[in-house]
Amino acid sequence: MSKNTNNKTTKEKVHSATITGITAPYKTDLFTRIVSLSPTFLLLLLILPVLGGLVCVLLPAFSWVTALEQTTVSLQGFHDLWQTPGLTQMVALSIATGLLSTLLAFVMTLMILAAFFNSVWLNRIEHLLSPILVIPHAAAAIAVGFLIAPSGMFSRLISPWLSGWELAPDGMFPHDPYGISIILGLTLKELPFLLLMALGALAQPELGKKLRQQYKVALNLGYYPITAFFKAVLPVLYPFLRLPILAVLAYASASVEMPLILGPNTPPTLAVTIMQWFNDVDLNLRIKASAGALLQLALTGSLIALWLGSERAIKTCFNGTLLNGKRHYADALWQKITAALTTVVIGFILLALIGLLMWSVAGFWRFPAVLPEQLVLLHFQSAFTQMSTPLFNTITIGIVSTVFAIVLTLLCLEAEQLSQKPLSTFTSLIIYLPLLVPSIAFLFGLVWLQQLVNNQTAFFNVAFTHLLFVLPYVFLSLASSYRRLDPHFAHVAASLGATPAKVFLQVKLPQLFAPILIAIALGLAISFGQYLPTLLAGGGRIATITTEAVTLANGASRRTSAVYAIIQMALPLVGFILAWVLPKYFFKSGKNSSR
Amino acid sequence: MKLSDTSEAVSRVLAEKSANNNDKGSVDLIWINGANFATMSENSLLLKQWANKLPNFALTDPENNPAVNFDFGVPTNGMEAPWGQAALTFYYDSLSTDKPPTTLNELVNWTAQNPGRFSYPKPPDFLGMSFLKYALVMLHENQDAKIGKNIKAQLNLPATEQNTDMVLAPLWAFLDDLHPTLWRKGEQFVQTGAHMRRLVDDTELSLAFTFSAPEVPAAVQRYDLPESIRSYAMSDGSLSNTHFVAIPYNASHPQAAQLVANFLMSPEAQAKKQTPDIWGDKTVLVLSTLNPEQQALFKDNKPHPSALPFDSIKRTVNEPHPSWVDAIMQGWQTRYGVSP
Repeated sequence: MSKNTNNKTTKEKVHSATITGITAPYKTDLFTRIVSLSPTFLLLLLILPVLGGLVCVLLPAFSWVTALEQTTVSLQGFHDLWQTPGLTQMVALSIATGLLSTLLAFVMTLMILAAFFNSVWLNRIEHLLSPILVIPHAAAAIAVGFLIAPSGMFSRLISPWLSGWELAPDGMFPHDPYGISIILGLTLKELPFLLLMALGALAQPELGKKLRQQYKVALNLGYYPITAFFKAVLPVLYPFLRLPILAVLAYASASVEMPLILGPNTPPTLAVTIMQWFNDVDLNLRIKASAGALLQLALTGSLIALWLGSERAIKTCFNGTLLNGKRHYADALWQKITAALTTVVIGFILLALIGLLMWSVAGFWRFPAVLPEQLVLLHFQSAFTQMSTPLFNTITIGIVSTVFAIVLTLLCLEAEQLSQKPLSTFTSLIIYLPLLVPSIAFLFGLVWLQQLVNNQTAFFNVAFTHLLFVLPYVFLSLASSYRRLDPHFAHVAASLGATPAKVFLQVKLPQLFAPILIAIALGLAISFGQYLPTLLAGGGRIATITTEAVTLANGASRRTSAVYAIIQMALPLVGFILAWVLPKYFFKSGKNSSR
Repeated sequence: MKLSDTSEAVSRVLAEKSANNNDKGSVDLIWINGANFATMSENSLLLKQWANKLPNFALTDPENNPAVNFDFGVPTNGMEAPWGQAALTFYYDSLSTDKPPTTLNELVNWTAQNPGRFSYPKPPDFLGMSFLKYALVMLHENQDAKIGKNIKAQLNLPATEQNTDMVLAPLWAFLDDLHPTLWRKGEQFVQTGAHMRRLVDDTELSLAFTFSAPEVPAAVQRYDLPESIRSYAMSDGSLSNTHFVAIPYNASHPQAAQLVANFLMSPEAQAKKQTPDIWGDKTVLVLSTLNPEQQALFKDNKPHPSALPFDSIKRTVNEPHPSWVDAIMQGWQTRYGVSP
């Protein structure tokens, strides 16, 4: 983010001659007033629900629940929490799965970047992995489960000719007590995210150019490619990855879908347990659940602190190494390991997707057959007859929250240009707030707040809650394009007498057509994938494809859950294909100029 | 409105009560029984004295049929309209095992011979609790005869600090023996009955059970279970209960909800619901109260090979008092909730 602002200031310097006197004292009208208020609105929109939600979980944690006629402050909730059998294991499982999956995804991102930096393979890998980004966590977990189960694809491929298994063996995955399945699922899902974030940073013209030059210089100085990446590129690139990594860490340590579908249940992770307590018949468990939510908050907070601390430590330890002049560290071997690992990851994902497709059309498919006995469309047909309401909800909620997020983001970015001041670091951090605070910790409080304000329109509550998660991604996705916009067009239009509103609508937006579509597709994908916010804010009354998919995932039919997982993947994919195709037919020139 | 668990609706109504929403509730009708009903009725979250006034309630022969007036031993006081009945029935994969166990004692021997091929849903899952209750009742029937005491009678009374340990001790001894022979050595349990059914399809399990027998042939027709599945009832007894619909005290449309509840009890709706292709849930109506045309609605001509054979339930066992659910659940959680 700070790099962007640097970009901007340099640009401003370049263009300051043209800018002065033309746009600076713009005429205030309704549009500019709305625009200048929008950053404050954005801040309130993000801070109030998150902090409000946290406060409303704090009160019951100290046994203050008016509904249960408890209005005395006590530590009973925490006392009950400590007495929970297996609490240590739950916490350990949350920490281990959160930390290890983030670390693995991060290390693999670095390995892929280092091994394929400046190679055509980097783009190919990006293209292969980026569709994974839009696959909701639940669908990914379902696909991984199909692969690693005792009766899964791996086991079928070697049975009975090699293993001698006529019945599915007594296996360990998924639901293994060590959380390996969860780590596997989370890693596969977070790897493409981190990789794309890194590539996104590298796509910034000046930064990318600078890093590629440094890399070339290092190569010319005799550094081997991987070493050159770690010594010349990573130190500059890492700051751009920090927030995405922390978001991944926060998510992984508190997520619900993956551990629910792939994790153990004796005991489950802390986040899953908290969710079960909140939903339990015994209403007094609410107090314990709130105390648990605070523990989750502390857990995620400590993990983030641990990460930042290790970051410092590594920086101090390896500062000397950066400058020691050593040109290679078994580079050839690492190159091979990375290539092999990347192939395994991509192969794993492909096999999982093939398995998913086959289950969705499978008739009888007894273990250990590799292929189903018959292919039927029955599962799609019966799913479609029940799908209309969830599908309608998914799409309308997605559209409402995304449109709102896009409009607000555009207004904020326009405010930045009108005032010629970049958003403060504080604001930039706050945009990440809903991604950094574990949703399980603030959502329950938020739902309680929403109950007080309005409890009739569950649809609105869900769309609003989705907005909290859609907004950060839409903002990140649009910000760099908006800030890179060539200001000449706007200046010319303004000098011809166009009002700021006209410049915004008729000059800037058409140029941004392609990036806006991508942001819309991303926003929709994020909204489509939300599980916990939909479940809680909607009180179970708003069914979406994702809530259905999670409910079905541990249910009776692999076939039906495969169908739902495929629909879950198809929806965002349609969005991205449209975002990719439409600019080819509309505002062609706009697309070119924004490049 | 879809819930992954009825307890979510209970949470919802409570949240509304706490937000002082006393007449515009979001829930109009809940499908409920057992512990959820006990909780809601204790917290006065349900509308009272309406179900017994519905016209179709008479068709359940309430005078002679306590199953529609008591929910797990708790009087319903007109807060619930009966909707369906269920009995614990078992099913097995005939390609994996040809002699399924028909009593609780045989079950222990069977799992010893077929290690890893049986499991039960993790409490507090309703079906898992039902299996434990079935085991508890059977254990006392077998033991009481030997030691000449009637401990089983305690199961119809509330669980107290005095009787809990004595009544539950045989169950823990039984489970200590059983668990090492279960799926994943009893260190991990299936989540739900549906999960258990999927594992039967995966051939990980060879024996499973359900509270809704018609669900089994229906799953075979959907390819979700192999054709080699056969259903049967335990010869030593099948745990059985009734399920109901109830109206929250703050429902927005209580009149409409009563109309729906009355419709759900009509011979047409009940017959449709009992049709194997639709749902196959056993009716709560007593057929002798119906006229011949209405009775004809309930006939099934071609039973599916995987379906529970007609009148295979020889003996039904009543649900223990609902307070035992909590006692079993807590004891289970302390002993087995965290794998070593």
